[in-house]
Amino acid sequence: MIVTMTRHSPDRIDAPSVRFDRVGLRYDSSEDVLSDLTFELEQGAFAFLTGASGAGKTSLLRLIYLALRPTHGEVYLFGQRVSQLRRAQLSALRRRVGIVFQDFRLLEHLSAYENVALPLRVQGQKEPNYRADVEDLLNWVGLGERLHARPETLSGGEQQRVAIARALVSKPDLLIADEPTGNVDPNMAERLMRLFAELNSRLGASVLVATHDHGLIARHNAPVLRLQNGLLVRDGQERAG
Amino acid sequence: MSRATTTPRESPLLPESDAREVALLFVVAALCFLAALVALSARSSYGAAAEWTSASEGELTVRLRGVDARAAGRAEALITEIEGVAQARLIPREEAAQMLAPWFGSNGLPAGLPVPTLIEVSAVPGAGELADSLTSALGAAGFDALIDDHAQWGQDVRRALGMARFAAFAAVALLVATAVAVIAFATHAALLARRDIVNVLHLSGAPDPFIANLFERRFWLLGLRGGSIGAVAALGAAALLVFALGSHAERTWLLPRLSLDFWDFLILLLTPIIAGFASRIAARRTVLNELARTI
Repeated sequence: MIVTMTRHSPDRIDAPSVRFDRVGLRYDSSEDVLSDLTFELEQGAFAFLTGASGAGKTSLLRLIYLALRPTHGEVYLFGQRVSQLRRAQLSALRRRVGIVFQDFRLLEHLSAYENVALPLRVQGQKEPNYRADVEDLLNWVGLGERLHARPETLSGGEQQRVAIARALVSKPDLLIADEPTGNVDPNMAERLMRLFAELNSRLGASVLVATHDHGLIARHNAPVLRLQNGLLVRDGQERAG
Repeated sequence: MSRATTTPRESPLLPESDAREVALLFVVAALCFLAALVALSARSSYGAAAEWTSASEGELTVRLRGVDARAAGRAEALITEIEGVAQARLIPREEAAQMLAPWFGSNGLPAGLPVPTLIEVSAVPGAGELADSLTSALGAAGFDALIDDHAQWGQDVRRALGMARFAAFAAVALLVATAVAVIAFATHAALLARRDIVNVLHLSGAPDPFIANLFERRFWLLGLRGGSIGAVAALGAAALLVFALGSHAERTWLLPRLSLDFWDFLILLLTPIIAGFASRIAARRTVLNELARTI
């Protein structure tokens, strides 16, 4: 099955951000978690990924953000065949991807500010150069007064906002968000979605949001990848095309 | 948008050391203490043995049988004239009695005891083999003489010395290998304990050397600290030994003469550096091996 995502930003016509070519995934000797997935997420596309619990959403995202290798098939990221890349090249690709993990994965010994700045430190940027960007982003997600707070002192929603700010701070070419609105109030959920849309439309970043929230999907005019038992099923919602 | 006026400085990406690292520091310090002490002991024993053998080389003892004091004096004069002899000294009976005191007590030797007449001979440095010249000269003069050039004794000392040196080297090597293995194990444990951090860094695009450097720096410092503590403790123990043996020198004359010289201090100085490098290399290898298992 081929699901081609529609681009929202027509100014970039390079290789797709993500391309799956008959990709399957199996953990150890278990049954296939994902089977024969073929789709493209074009540069600048905004799409949702949905499906019931256990359908394979997180596994699919892990393949995209290069935490897993497929059992068979090929994954392409920004036009590069992942299986043929060396480790240093994979690291460089990962720096182009912002990830909002479902479980946030904030580093407990770092403050909110330092957690958000982490991808920039990994890129070798110096603190004075990114300070303003990090503070602005934390202000924007409503945590301007909690720069010094450690994750353990933040609520679930606040931690999620820190995780989102961390994913956005390096202005990634591709943003992967796994249930990004699961722990925030509807108001903040809308603000976050607007931020994702802004990242998508202004910077041309591709955005893939995994969510259970059908209301959220319904409120945004974006294509949907629907997973069912490890298979992609056509949703009929390619409304932006 | 309000902007905070102060922002904290960058914290280390790895958390400050925890209880596991304190325990590891103790282990590294203990291993370095033992390794440094073994190295110092080996060097000291080697030095003492070398001193013994070099002192015995060039020294000969002539034993005369069936001679009176006059004949012994003649033999002493004859030996002095042989080429290559620096000095010959007839050992008086009183001195022989002193040498035998451990066996016969300090009240002198029994009157009828046939104490051999001994002449101590020192060779001119570089004079070469003297035993044959002495034997033939004394034989030609009608003396029944036995020459002991201490060769067997020196050979035994050298053999024992070689074995002691090998044992010390093996002990130091074993201790270093143990330290490296312990550090590798600890690094692995630290990596597992901080897998969440490694995972986030990895997925944020940190290259393997970047992540390995974090652990390398941490374990380099740990090795340096542990090695320094161990070296200082070894210095203290060695100084204590030097003092203890020095103050009982008359009863411990057979033990190696201990002292702390330039080479000993060099061993102590190198201990933390070697520990630091061993820790660093072990940490790097462990982290890179672990990361190689990930995509």
